[in-house]
Amino acid sequence: MVALPSIQRRLSYFLVGVSLAWGLLISATIYVVGRTQVDKMLDYTLLEAAEILYGLLNFDVKQLPLQGELAMATPYAHEERLMWQVVEPDGKVSLQSHRAPPEAISAQRRLGFFDAGTDWRVFGMPLRDDRLMLYVAHFGTDRREDSLQSVEATVVAVLLSALACALWLRTRVRKELGPLGELSRSVAQFDPLQRDARLVASSRQELVSLREAVFDFGARLAKRVANERAFTAHAAHALRTPLAGMDAQLASALRECAPEQRPRLQRTREAAGRLHSVVTALLTLFRSGVDLSLTEFDVGLLVERLPLEALDIRVESSSPIVADLNLLAAALLNLFDNSLRHGAHKAFINVFRDGGFVHIRLQDDGPGIPAEQLSRIQSALDHQEYEGQMGLGLMLSDLIARAHRGRLNLSSAPSGLICEFSLPDNLSAGGD
Amino acid sequence: MRLMLLEDDTILGEGLRDFLQLEGHVVDWVTRLIDVARLAKGPYDALLVDWQLPDGSGLAWVKSLRDTGDTTPVLMMTARDLLQDRITGLDTGVDDYLVKPFRPEELAARIRAVRRRVVGSASSRMVFGTLEIDLATKVASVSRVPADLTAREWGLLEALALRAGQFVSKNELDRLLKGGEEGEAASNALEVHVHNLRRKLGRQAIETVRGRGYRLAA
Repeated sequence: MVALPSIQRRLSYFLVGVSLAWGLLISATIYVVGRTQVDKMLDYTLLEAAEILYGLLNFDVKQLPLQGELAMATPYAHEERLMWQVVEPDGKVSLQSHRAPPEAISAQRRLGFFDAGTDWRVFGMPLRDDRLMLYVAHFGTDRREDSLQSVEATVVAVLLSALACALWLRTRVRKELGPLGELSRSVAQFDPLQRDARLVASSRQELVSLREAVFDFGARLAKRVANERAFTAHAAHALRTPLAGMDAQLASALRECAPEQRPRLQRTREAAGRLHSVVTALLTLFRSGVDLSLTEFDVGLLVERLPLEALDIRVESSSPIVADLNLLAAALLNLFDNSLRHGAHKAFINVFRDGGFVHIRLQDDGPGIPAEQLSRIQSALDHQEYEGQMGLGLMLSDLIARAHRGRLNLSSAPSGLICEFSLPDNLSAGGD
Repeated sequence: MRLMLLEDDTILGEGLRDFLQLEGHVVDWVTRLIDVARLAKGPYDALLVDWQLPDGSGLAWVKSLRDTGDTTPVLMMTARDLLQDRITGLDTGVDDYLVKPFRPEELAARIRAVRRRVVGSASSRMVFGTLEIDLATKVASVSRVPADLTAREWGLLEALALRAGQFVSKNELDRLLKGGEEGEAASNALEVHVHNLRRKLGRQAIETVRGRGYRLAA
C-alpha cells in the first residue's frame, strides 16, 4: 500500500517552514533598517557633539592652550569612541582630543558628513568665521560593530521567536489533529457487523457529524446484512423439511418402482441431493455470521465423509488444518458437484503447505475451462464480481475462502480444472 | 421394529413411513401431539419426533415422556441445526439428533444404532449360540448358513433379538409386529410365525414360558 502524506506532518512542516521564512524575512528587514537607523543615530551623536564643541571652541579659543599635550587633558583613561580636531587653513591641527590623529583627518576642507577612508565617519563644520575647521569623528570599525551587534541580537531574537513559535504551532497542530487520528483509527477498527461495535466519542465539534455519519452508515449496513442473512437463513431453513420429504419420497419410490423407472428416479434423487448441498451451503454460510467456528481436522478424512458417491475422489496427500469444518465441507461439496456436472469422473485432492498458507488443491478429469473464460472467472473471483460470471458453487467457495481470509484460485490442468483454496496456515502459526 | 413417527409435514411423514415400512418396520405415523394419545399403547422400539409440531413442541413432549420414566429411544428430526439446539435436545432426553434434510437410509441406520445401544450391542451383529443375526443386512444364519425368512418372520426375530434376555409377551409381540392389531387372529398368526422360525432356525432357538412369552435362547 502506498504511504499517503500525513495531514499532521504536512501541516507541521508547513508551519515550521513558514515560521522560519517569516523569521528570516523579519531578520533581513531588521538588518537593513536597523543598520540604517543605527548609522543615523550615530550620525546624530556626531552632529550633536560637533555642536557642543563648536559652542565651546567659539567661546575664546585664544584663552585655551593650543599646543601639544596640554591641548586637552585626559580626565581619566578610557576607550575613546569619539574624537575631534580643529584644523587650521594650512591643514595644521591646532586642537584635538587625546586619541585623535596628529594630522588632519581631511586634507581638504569638507563640510557635513563624510567618510574618511574606512576608519572614520566624520562631521565637518567651519569654526571661527570659517578660518578653522572642526572635525568630529567616530571610529568606523566601532560603528560597524555596534550596528552589527544590535542587528544580530535582534535577528537572533526574531529567529528564536520564530522557532519557538513553529514548535508551539507544531505541538498545537498535533494536539488538534489528535482526535481526527483517533477517530480514523477507530473507524479502521469499526466492524458494524459486530454486536458491540463502537466508535470513539468525538471531542471536536467538526468530527461529530463525521462520526455520526460513519456510525449510521455502519448501522444501516449491519441491518441490511442482518436482514439478508436472516432472509437467506430463513429461506434455507424453510427448504429443509420439503427437501427431506422429497428425498424420503424418492427413496421409497426407488424401492417400489419398476426397474425401467429406476434410473430416472435416481437422477431425480441426485438432483434433490444437489439442491440439498446448495441449501446446506447457503445456510451454513449465512449462519456463520462473523465468527468462524475453527477446529482442527484432516482434509482427507473430511473428503471421505462427503456424501458424493458419483465422483471417484482420490486423496493423494492430506494434512490436518484449522478451519471451519462445516463451511469447508460445503465449499468442497459444491466444487465436487461442479466437477460432476461438467463431466468429470475422478477428482484428486492434494493438501500442502507453502509460505504461511495451507493449500487444498482439487483437480478433476473433466474438460476444464477455456483459457480466456478461466481468466475472466479468476478476475471475477479476485474482484468479487460474481454476477453473471459464475455459478453459485464457485461463488460460495470463494466466499468461504474469503471468510477464512484466504483465496480461491482456478487454473488449468493438462486434463481438467484445478481449484485451489489457499488459507492462512493457522496450524503452523500456532492458532487454535 | 415398531416405530412411532411424529411428523407434521405430510410429504416427509408419508415418505418416511413408506420407506421405513419397506425396511420392514411397523410405523405409526401421527402429525400432531394430540393424536399420540389415540395410538394404541406401546411398546415402541423407537420414537421419531419432529421438534416443531402444530400443537406444541416435540421436545417438550419428549421431556414429559422422560419424566414419567419412559426410556424408549427417541430420535429427534428437526431443521434446527444450531449447536445449542443439539445440546438442548440431547440433554432433554433425546437419544439421537438428525438435522433435516437427511437421507432416510441414514435415519434407518440410526434407528438400528439406538436400538443396539438399548440391548448393549456395539455392532449390528448379534449371536445367540449357533444363531447369528445381522440387523443391518437383515440376515439370520444358523451355523453360518443363511436362513430364508419372510418379512414377518424377520420382524419377529428382530423384535426378540432387540429384547435379548427378556421374555416378550404375545400381546407385546402382536403390537410390535402389527402396530396395535390385537385379538385371537393376531395371536394365532404369531404362533404360526414362531413355529416357522423354529423350523428354519432350530427348535431350541426360541424359548417359550407359559404366561411370560417368548425369548431367544442364549
